[in-house]
Amino acid sequence: MDAMSSAELDRRATPARFTRAETLRLQTAHAAGSAAALASRLARRGSGASIRGKVMERLDPRSLEKLLQGRRIAMVSGTNGKTTTTHLLAAALRAGLGAAADRLVTNADGANLHYGIASALGQKPDADIAVLETDERVVADVVRMGRPEVMVLLNFSRDQLDRHHEITSMGRAWRDALEAAGADGPVVVASAEEPLIVWACRGARKVIWVDTQSVWNADSALCPECGARIERVEADTDSSTPGRWWCTGCSLAKPTPTWRVSNEVIVDPEGTIWHPKLQVPGQFNVSNAACALAAADLMGVGTSDAIRGMRTVTSPAGRFATATFGDTEARLMLAKNPAGWAEALPILTCDDVVLAIDSVAADGKDVSWLWDVQFEQLVGKNVVVTGPRCGDLSVRLLYAGVEHRVQPDLSQAMRMHSGRIDVLSTYTPFQKLRKLGGLA
Amino acid sequence: MSLEIVLVYQSLLGIYGDQGNAMVLAKRAEWRDIDVRLTQVEPGDELPTDGDIFVIGGGEDGAQTSAVEALRADGNIYRAVDAGAVVFGVCAGYQILGNSFGVGSDDEPRQGLGLLDITSERGPERAVGEILTRWNGRTGDDAWLTGFENHSGYTRLGADAEPLATVEVGVGNGFDGTEGAVQGRVIGTYPHGPVLARNPALADHLLEMALGTELDRLESPEHDILRQQRLAAVRTS
Ligand SMILES: [Zn+2]
Repeated sequence: MDAMSSAELDRRATPARFTRAETLRLQTAHAAGSAAALASRLARRGSGASIRGKVMERLDPRSLEKLLQGRRIAMVSGTNGKTTTTHLLAAALRAGLGAAADRLVTNADGANLHYGIASALGQKPDADIAVLETDERVVADVVRMGRPEVMVLLNFSRDQLDRHHEITSMGRAWRDALEAAGADGPVVVASAEEPLIVWACRGARKVIWVDTQSVWNADSALCPECGARIERVEADTDSSTPGRWWCTGCSLAKPTPTWRVSNEVIVDPEGTIWHPKLQVPGQFNVSNAACALAAADLMGVGTSDAIRGMRTVTSPAGRFATATFGDTEARLMLAKNPAGWAEALPILTCDDVVLAIDSVAADGKDVSWLWDVQFEQLVGKNVVVTGPRCGDLSVRLLYAGVEHRVQPDLSQAMRMHSGRIDVLSTYTPFQKLRKLGGLA
Repeated sequence: MSLEIVLVYQSLLGIYGDQGNAMVLAKRAEWRDIDVRLTQVEPGDELPTDGDIFVIGGGEDGAQTSAVEALRADGNIYRAVDAGAVVFGVCAGYQILGNSFGVGSDDEPRQGLGLLDITSERGPERAVGEILTRWNGRTGDDAWLTGFENHSGYTRLGADAEPLATVEVGVGNGFDGTEGAVQGRVIGTYPHGPVLARNPALADHLLEMALGTELDRLESPEHDILRQQRLAAVRTS
């Protein structure tokens, strides 16, 4: 099976064909973009990925479309876990490529909108295999312009409470794009747990279903097809009976998965059990790895090679990295939304914990979701809450019976423990903590 | 003393952390040594007729319509109210307590439960953001009600309902500077999520109505910090 797979990985994409003028325009745009990116880096305004893409697109509005052509593309999307899964899949394909790992390009920095994708591709024009983290909002565009071979859809929940009503229309855009692509569309690797994903995939030519054992289903009470209520039977881990769900009004129901996650192991379609033993923590990363394995298999990399590659992934785009604050060694973890917090709380292994929360636009302005997350599981830990919304979190912990201290200032909060600690944070404080800890 | 709190249709009306309101009520009763039972009811289950406080949360248009149909088919909420139960609805849960409400793009009025003399319709623009109101008939710091609102429906009060509060910052009912509605033991309000977590005095008021007795005040620095932070934030923005 492995031998057959690697032959498949050798397959080259059909080269893109442009006129001389079109190629020249793209090259000029790329040169200007790179100059702008360099200036941005020199001015210490970040990696420059986004400014490079922006300049390129201004000088050549078709740059992304051109850059996507002539490559075999595997794209990764979903609300949570895209960055890590992109890293896992890229590492799996590199392991399969061996000495030819140069053939692969990926947007490893997490810049996943038009500009970020164009920027990554522009830097490696000759790489013919692309692994692209793709924001939910640009999935439809990449499907249309890039004709990806494989598309991974991890999960789909409200990123921010004040934007909840947008997720159904985004699911519709995915479905329309997959339908329009028809027989040229990607093979989709998708979670079988979520009604909205299963519904969006009805437009796809082929789907490989993965049972991801998601812990979050608060966002899928109603059927996206007919509006009736979704009924659920939770998984029974003792008898290893998987969970089920179905619509009470129409035929939408959980499909039969071919890949399965069961606690720490992954079961492939033949029933072989794999122990991924990843360096990135948590049950949810085992689920991400299962999706990456299914995608790697479709791209032509056997499972044992793929796992060997995935084990090299430690800190995708800074997530799970350890930072030092005085005599404190802090593992920094990002949880952007309620589903992310629900997944991350069980992997806080240290007794000393800092929870950081803000509510500017990137974090979500409404922190009501704190009441949908089981903070009760932190009882017994030494908790410090920090960030501009620490008051909300403090009251939540009061009702959860979790003793804690409150320190609104981030850098002071990081000095209230010593030794090894776990830090869980929403987006804005996470970026600040990376800077304070010398990681960014 | 014993108390039964009923969390109504959490899977349909609970997307904004609204179960927090039931948790807050239950804990605040428990901290006063009251014997509390928290019952969750989902569509298809019968509502208990002997519950003391029914808590209804917010949800999307489709969920709101399904919930009101299920509640009317069940009918027990009317029996409970007749027997003296307190009903507390937020956001979509507030609207469905009224005579009618419009949803979605058509704004076709749907029949509500008729427990509050209010009608809701689509407003000129979606109300999203922090809200600060003054609780009618109350004085002192407890009378500031702070929350987060996110609704496209606006509400008019009929003769039988009184507004709960007066808007300082935000939209509330939307037409006349009022917020929420009170009619006997039925109370509705727009701020969603656990509005009771931000306003413990309102939580205690619901408990006192249900128990028919006055409760001792509970001091907590956690609430004091939160209320200071939220009041400061809404006044400077
Ligand atoms: Zn259906």
